[in-house]
Formats: sequence, structure tokens, C-alpha cells
Amino acid sequence: MLETPVSPIPADSVDLPATAGQTREVESSAIFWLLAVGGLLLVAMGWFLPWFVEPTANGIGFSPQDVVSSSPTGVGTVLVYVMGAAMLALLAGLVVDAVAVYGHRGRALRYEGARAVLALTGVVCTLAIWVLIGLSHEEPLFGALSASAQTDNAVWMTLTGFAICAFAYGLRPWIIRHTSVSLAGVAFIVGGLVPYIFNQSSDFISWAAGSLAIYTLLGLGLNVVVGFAGLLDLGYAAFFAIGAYTAGSLFGSRHGVHEIPFWVIIFLGAAVAALFGAILGAPTLRLRGDYLAIVTLGFGEIIPDAANNNLFSQTGGPNGISGIDRPGFGHFDFGTDYRYYFWALLILISLVIICMRNLERSRLGRAWVAIREDEVAASATGINTVSGKLLAFAIGASVSGFAGAFYGAELGIVTPEDFRFAVSVTALTIVVLGGIGNITGVAVGAMIVTFLIFWVLPHMTEWSTTVGHTTGITQLSTVPYEQYSFVVYGVMLILIMLLRPAGLLPSRARKVELQTGMESESLAAVRGTV
Amino acid sequence: MAQKTTDAAAVLPPGRQPRLDALRLRLLPQLTARAFPIILVTALVGMFLRIATTSGGEIAGEQLKNGLQIGAIYALIALGYTMVYGIIELINFAHGDVFTLSAFYAILFGQLFGFFGLNVTTLAPSSAGGLIACLLLLFPITMLAAGITGVLIERVAYRRLRQSPRLAPLITAVGVSFLLEGVMFAKFGAANYPARKDGWVHGTAFTAGGVPVRWNDVLVLSTALGLMFALQAFVRGSRLGKAMRATAQDRDAALLSGININRTIAATFFIGSALAGAGALVYSIYYNSVQWNLGFRYGIIAFTAAVLGGIGNIVGAGLGGFLIGVISVFGSQLLGGEWENSIVFAMLIIVLTFRPVGLLGMRVPDRA
Amino acid sequence: MSLLEIDHISKRFGGLLAVNDVTFDVGDGEIVSMIGPNGAGKTTAFNCITGLYPVTSGDVRFDGVSIVGLPPHRITALGITRTFQNIRLFSFMTAVDNVMVGEHSRMHAKVWDAILRTPKARREERAVEGHALTILSGLGLERYADMYARNLPYGFQRRLEIARALASGPRLLLLDEPAAGLNPQEKNELMGVISHLRDEGLTIFLIEHDMRVVMEISDRIVVLDYGEKIAEGSPAEVRNNPRVIEAYLGSGATTQMHTARSTPLRPANPADDEGERPA
Repeated sequence: MLETPVSPIPADSVDLPATAGQTREVESSAIFWLLAVGGLLLVAMGWFLPWFVEPTANGIGFSPQDVVSSSPTGVGTVLVYVMGAAMLALLAGLVVDAVAVYGHRGRALRYEGARAVLALTGVVCTLAIWVLIGLSHEEPLFGALSASAQTDNAVWMTLTGFAICAFAYGLRPWIIRHTSVSLAGVAFIVGGLVPYIFNQSSDFISWAAGSLAIYTLLGLGLNVVVGFAGLLDLGYAAFFAIGAYTAGSLFGSRHGVHEIPFWVIIFLGAAVAALFGAILGAPTLRLRGDYLAIVTLGFGEIIPDAANNNLFSQTGGPNGISGIDRPGFGHFDFGTDYRYYFWALLILISLVIICMRNLERSRLGRAWVAIREDEVAASATGINTVSGKLLAFAIGASVSGFAGAFYGAELGIVTPEDFRFAVSVTALTIVVLGGIGNITGVAVGAMIVTFLIFWVLPHMTEWSTTVGHTTGITQLSTVPYEQYSFVVYGVMLILIMLLRPAGLLPSRARKVELQTGMESESLAAVRGTV
Repeated sequence: MAQKTTDAAAVLPPGRQPRLDALRLRLLPQLTARAFPIILVTALVGMFLRIATTSGGEIAGEQLKNGLQIGAIYALIALGYTMVYGIIELINFAHGDVFTLSAFYAILFGQLFGFFGLNVTTLAPSSAGGLIACLLLLFPITMLAAGITGVLIERVAYRRLRQSPRLAPLITAVGVSFLLEGVMFAKFGAANYPARKDGWVHGTAFTAGGVPVRWNDVLVLSTALGLMFALQAFVRGSRLGKAMRATAQDRDAALLSGININRTIAATFFIGSALAGAGALVYSIYYNSVQWNLGFRYGIIAFTAAVLGGIGNIVGAGLGGFLIGVISVFGSQLLGGEWENSIVFAMLIIVLTFRPVGLLGMRVPDRA
Repeated sequence: MSLLEIDHISKRFGGLLAVNDVTFDVGDGEIVSMIGPNGAGKTTAFNCITGLYPVTSGDVRFDGVSIVGLPPHRITALGITRTFQNIRLFSFMTAVDNVMVGEHSRMHAKVWDAILRTPKARREERAVEGHALTILSGLGLERYADMYARNLPYGFQRRLEIARALASGPRLLLLDEPAAGLNPQEKNELMGVISHLRDEGLTIFLIEHDMRVVMEISDRIVVLDYGEKIAEGSPAEVRNNPRVIEAYLGSGATTQMHTARSTPLRPANPADDEGERPA
């Protein structure tokens, strides 16, 4: 109605605090240095790693120099030389810049345009070679490479490191403007390389594709509910279970359905989970926060109970649903190589993260913050608080539906005991540890928590047995470390809330909220409908 | 819509015309909330009659007794939830695990007495006097230990977060719960831990309507009822009880009136945990074994009981405990024992959805 | 014609009748003030109009349509927005974000648009942000667009709340004690804003304790006492109404009243809102 601006009123002059832009500059510089140093580290590792591992049988392929020298002349070699020259120039520039920045702040930011061109050339060349090597394993051009897995790793690490360096160095202003995009890109590339770097350890791959990736998804989904909308959900595993059971029933020998492609199945799982989220949310979202927590907890126990009791003879009772098919995509058969799960999940997680970022900055994301901060004011400002919360519930549930579908497909079986309260608490710990409401924080939290619980604890027995043997303290080998996972969760949750309630990587607004103890008054309580 | 309003205005006196859709929206939840106690009682009677007709009156009576007996234990735990929630509006998630831990205390103290040459396992079943002596020894010491545990938890995990948003202490409460469960799991293992109280309390006390009531039923029920009345009298009459009620109503005003808030809240935790300790002792005597994760289930069920009775209300917690006990026993008789948990959790969702104030509760003020 | 019709509304909290059978209306393009002693039921009446409290009986019509029983966000979408007596901004959002929240009910981006950040959603976001900045600069707040609302000086927070309310494009603006806590200069500016908004075509209904503000800008005044309407009329009529004077100062104060007309009848009490709610 009121499209024209109202008359300007002279603003009293008030001393403005340091503008947000300045802090952003400083933070982004830190990110730039992180990238540069990380890239260099990768280069160094790639370059020097081969000298530390055993020589291969045929004696070739120690380091990238060997690759270059042993390769026949051709486009690839030319590219390698071009790239090498570009990279060396960039490297030199980086050192000069580092000195300049250390000495005289600000001077480093000259010649942006030239550097950007150089850097982009470097990045493109590097990636081109990267792809060429990847594609031409059996080709004579890089035939020498396939002789040794270590050399493969070394070359890839070097090239990636170079690419990151060039990227960081040449596109510094762009990185500063697009911090999260560049960080995410690097994380994506490095993440994609993880199965290559650790391709000797199938344990590690199954941990990364299993616990890490699945719980990252769960953390991201729960973050929508707990972080964005501020609703404590203690029964999040229920939606995970619903996704897993839906997918498991529709994809495998349980009902003899083998026709639906897996990529449709995961969306079905997500949709059913979202539907249940809405069904549970509709009557209960009027409740106060802590009551809601308990209701979701109850729901979280009903679902595995119902599965355990073979509800409508559909869930297979305590034995669950077995014989779930292995997914495939084109000529990638997931049954043959576990790493495909990892890559598929990496792509899925990246997409989910992009969607979450979009949500956070959207109309809906703003509405959630408003509901979280002051439900009464939010509703008086025109926000439908019930549907806002309901959407948070449904979106959160759908993400765990994805996770559930993958979980079932990875294990080939789902049983009720996989979805007990401990799963909900793990997801909650991830969100709380990483920083409630912060997507990056959730990813970091998932890494830490799953590493501790699903990697360190199971391996502790092995490690301490070794230590026990060497030191002669035989008691060390008999400690049942895995029994302590509950203690680890408990201690983590208590310590974080007491010492750093906003988590390791707090989202800025949440940090202040949690420190000042402000809280939304429930709309329902005000309206007297509770 | 405007047209509709004018039509209605023509029929009804001005200012009295109801908007039908809005009215329906508001009335339905209100009606269910009002009729809730009647629906609940009707459902209970219906379940009782159904059991009586399908399985016979004696089974129904036996199940009623079982429901009341397990309900008494739920009630003892529910009191702790309701007191703590009443005073600091925190769902003390770890309360169920304090209950389990107290059951282990009760077992350990029995062994400890053995260390001092007093073998409670042989003394208690020897004679009525021996039994009473054992109970007189074990009750205070178990309750004391449980109470101290509760106070410690409050001091370490909750006190610093008293001014934080409600989410923060709730998350620590989940943390404390997991910590306690983890410790008990590591210490006592995953299997049922024997309480070694076989035959402590045995024999049939009397038979009511063909249902034999055993002495251990009497022990459980009388413990629960006795402690509940004692608590009610304490909160009503004593200085500390008055301080508790004042703190529950308005913490700042209580502080200004010279009440030591920290001590009052600690006392609340002490009493609540001690009652759970008493419940744990009678539990270990009745069932003769304890499991590390017992508290999770019993905790939620007891919380449901507290909500059903009206959270913050001591009589309500007792009533809710007995009702939930009877509902869970009747429900599992009708649907099968494997559904017992689901019945209780569904009950929790139903109560919170349709009558969040509970049976005896008043509207909980939502403090901003 | 009248834009807002309050038709015999009552609001009961348990035994307390906070608003008792109050009837009045607010005409299109008018500035109407509601005054009354603490606990008279003014904020309760506001809450009933905006749907925060369900009314016990009676009807509220906006532009001829009954809005009783509608949830608050629907009422906002119809064109009634409000500010709060104790400022309720989203403290940890920037000023411009606060205003953008206010535009929520005018936006059309669906969940999918939000998740996928479709071109449609982007266009809308840009348009809304531009509009929000326009509103901010209209109220002299453009310099503070990127500051957290809680870091703004008090007077600017009051103004930001008005900006947020304006963002949804209302026809009727309810202001709950907009002048509370402002210094005389800020009050003058506020009066300028209010009359300017009226000139833009808005209807304004406000609760205010500062009699200078009320008498200067109101077209009409409604007086509430103990939940009942005791007077209604032009500033001059209300000022001389013996029931009003009695309600404020007790009986026998009529003569003093005339000498004290330019000072507040009593200091604004920021805790008033709490006093009107049941314990």
C-alpha cells in the first residue's frame, strides 16, 4: 500500500561501531591464507611423499618429475611444463607477497588483473592434466603412472595443491567476496580425493561413506529444526528410520521390487519422512519448546518399537528388512566398489548444503530466525508461525529420509536397533558441538563426533593392545573402549553447553542469543491456547 | 465474507454473531481439553471391562493391582520431575538415570554392609524384625546417596545455565543422562544385574476379590503413598517447602524476600532424587534385578505421569503415576506386552496435544 | 466510512474482565488515540484486534470483514500491523532484515523457490531489499541498515519497529505507546512521522500516555478505564470530560486538570504491559 517513501528525518549522528565490512575483510584474509598454506602443504606432501614410501617394483614413478621425464612427448607433457612454469611464477609471487604483506600491509593487492589471468590459466591447466591422468590410466601417455598407487596419489595431491594455490593466490579478491563458495569448492575437491588418498584402507572408506557421510546428512537436517527454527527434536532418528524402511521396502527382495531406480527411491524415502514430520508436527508444534522435545522423544521411540513389533507385517520385526539391493548408476555398480557410495553421498551432501544455504538466506530462513527470536512479534509481523515450524520439521525430516535410504542401501539391511535414541543424540551432539545453526559447523561437528565415536573408539582396543604389548601393561588390551561411547556423548554435551554453548563454530546471531539467554515467548502461551 | 457477516448480523443481536469457522477451530481443542478426564476414565473403565470379559475378572483384578504397583514406582519418580520442573522449569532428563543409579546404590550398600559383617541378604529374610532392620538401614542411606547425586548434578550441570535459554540446560540434561548411562553400562555391563534380594519380602498379605495381594505389593504401595503424603505435608507446612513454592512462583521476588534460591533449588533436587532413590530400592526388592538403561524408559514414563497429572503439582504426579501404571498394564494386556512403551509414549503425545496442563494442573505461565 | 469497527468486544482472563463490552470505530484516514490509566485494558484491546488474544465475545471488523478468530499473520496480511509497547524487534537481525521480515506477508516465494533459489526468488529478494531500504531511508534509518537491531539507540529502535510495521503495506497501523521513553525532540519527530503517514493514506490508531502527543495529533480520542470505554470524542471534548478527569486524578481534580494540560498526566510506565496480563 505504502509504496512511496515517507519523508526523510534527519538522523542524529551516532558513532557507528566498526563496520561489518572490516571484520569480514580480516576473516576472509585468514581464509585466504588457510587456502594458500593448505594448498602448499598438499604440494609438499605430493612432492615428497614418494621419497618416504618404498620404491615400486619397476623403479619408476617416484615423483612428478619422474612422471614428466618418463612420459613420452605430447600434449600432456607440454601442458605439464606450461603449468609448472605458471605455478613456479605464482609460487614466487606468493612468497614475495607474503613478505610484502608482513612488511607493509596493503601493498600485496596490486596487479590483480594480471595475476587473475595467470592463476586461472594455472587452475585450468592443472585441472586439465588432472582429468587427463584420470582418464588415461591405460593410455601410453601416462602409462607409467599406473605402476604405483603411491605415485598416483602423489601426482594428484601435487596437482590439486597447485590448483588450490593458484586459485587462492590469483583470485584473492574473488575469494574474499565469495568466501563460502570458494571454501566449499576446495572442500568438495579435497573430499572427492579422500578415497584415493586412503584407498589402501577399506575400513576408512566404509567409515567415511557410512558413519561420516550419513551423520553429516543427519546433522544438516537436524540443524534446520534445532538451528534454524529453534525447535529441540530429540526423536530425529525416527525420520531416519522412516526413510530407511521406506527405501528398504521399495528397493530389494523384501517385496520383490527391483525396478525403481535408487535415485527415485531416495526421494521417495525423503518424501515419506517429510510427510511423517508434518504429521507429527501438526498437532504438537503449538507446544512449548521443552514439551516438544519430549513429544519428539516419545515419537522417536514409538517408531523403532513399531518396526520391532512388525507393524502391519511390513517391517520384518527385530530382524528388520534385509536383502536391500545395491544401487547402481550407469556403469557405476555400487556393489563392486564401496567408494561410489562415498562420492554419491559427497555430491548429495554438497547439494543439501547448497539448498540449506539458500534456505538460510531466503524468505523462509528469515521467518525462522524471527520465530526463534520472538514468536509473538513474528506472528504480528505477518509470519505464519505454525506453518513455518511445520516446514522446518518437514524439511529436516526429508534430509534424514535421504540419509536413511542410503544407510539401508549401504548395509543391505535395516533393523529397528539402528534407530534408537543414541542416533538422535549423536545427531544432536553434532549440531551442538559444531555450532547450532551453522552449516559449516555441522560439517565439522560431524567429522569430530563420528571420528571419535565410530573410528577412534572401535580402534582404541587395537591401539591400546599394541601399546600394552610394547609397554608390558597387559591390562591395556582388555579395556572395552566401545562401551564408553555414551560417556563420550554425555561429557561432550555437558562440556559444550557449559563452556562454549554456541559450539565450536558459532553462527554469529546464535552466539549472542545463547550467551545473553534471550528466548522466544511461545505464541500459543500468549494466546492462551496451551 | 463480508456478505456472510451482514447476514449473520441481521439474525443475531449486534456484537454477538459468531464466526462459524473460527468458532469451530477454537472450540474443538477446548472441548477435548475439557472432556479429557471423562474420556480418560471412560477409556480406563472400558479397558478394565474388556479385560474382564475376555480374560476373566480375576485377571482384570490382578492386572489392576499390577498397574497400581508399577504405577507407585512411576509416581515416586514422577515426583522428582514435577518438583524440578515446578521450580526451575527444566525437564531433568537425567532423573530416570538417577533412579537406575540409586537401584545400583541399593545393591552396593547391601554388599557394603556385608563388608562390615552385617549380611543383609541373610538377615532380611530371616525374620520380620530382621527385614525391618534392613529396610530401616537401607532406605535412609539409599535416599541420601540418591539425593546427593541429584544435588551434584544440579550443581555441576544445571546451575550455571539457569539464566540460559531453556534449550541449553535441556541439552546438558540429555548429556548427564548419557553420562550416567554410559558409566553404569561400563561398570555393570549390558545384562541384567542381580539385586540379590530373593525372598526378602514374600508371602501373600491378603486376598481382595479373589486377587492375592502379596507383601511386596504392600511394600511398594505403602512406600509410595507414605512418601507422597510426607512430601505434601512438607511442602505445605515447612519453611523450606514455603521457600520452594515461593521460588517456583517468582524466583526474583523470592530472592528479594530473602530466600536463598540456590539452597532451595538444591533442596528440591535432593528431595526429588531421594524419592527416586526410595522408588529404586523398592524396585530392586520387587524385581530383584536392575539394568543399566532402565532409567531411560522409566524416566519418560514417569515424565508422562507428571504431565498427565499436571506438571508442577505433587498430588498430580502421584495420581498420574498410578494412572499411567494402570494404562500401561491394561494396554499391554490388550495389545501385547511389546507395545507397552508405545502405549505410554502415545499417551504422552495425546496428553501434551490435547491437555498440556494435565489433569490437576493450572496453566503453566510461560516466562519470557 | 469506518475502517476498523470494534463491536462490543470483551476479553476475560479467568475472573478478570480486562476489556468489557467496548465499542468504537476508527475511520479511514483518521488518527485515533486510546488513552486510559494503567491496567485499563488498552494493550489487551490491541492484542484482541491483532489476533494475539482471542476475544471472549464481540466482533472486530476490518473494512467490513470480521477478523475475529483469525490468526495474527492473517490479520497482518489483511492490512493491520502494529508495534509493541516494550519494543519487540528481532534483536539479532540487522535493521534491514527486520524490515524484510515485515515484508514477509507480501512475498510469494514458495518453499521450492527458497530451497533452489530460483530466479523468481532472487528477483523478489532484490526487490524486497530495495523496498526495505527505501522504507528505512524514509524514516532516516538508512545509515543503520546493517546494524543489529539491538545495537541501535532506543529512539531508532522505536522508529525501526514502525518501519517493520510499514513493510507489510498496512492500511491501519496500530502503535502501542510509540512515544514512551523518547525525549522531547524525538517526540516531535515521531509526531511528524505519524502525520506524514496519515498524509500518505494510512489510518493510525495509537495508545499513548503522553498527553501533549495525544492532544496534538489525534482526530479523536477513546478513553478506557477498568476495561470500559468511558469517553470518546475530539481532544477538546475528552479533555473537559469529567469522567476522564476523575479516572485519571480521582474525584475533585477537575479544576487542576485545566492548568496541567500540556504535561503528561502521569509518567509512562514501561511495565504497563505486564500489569494487564493475568498473574
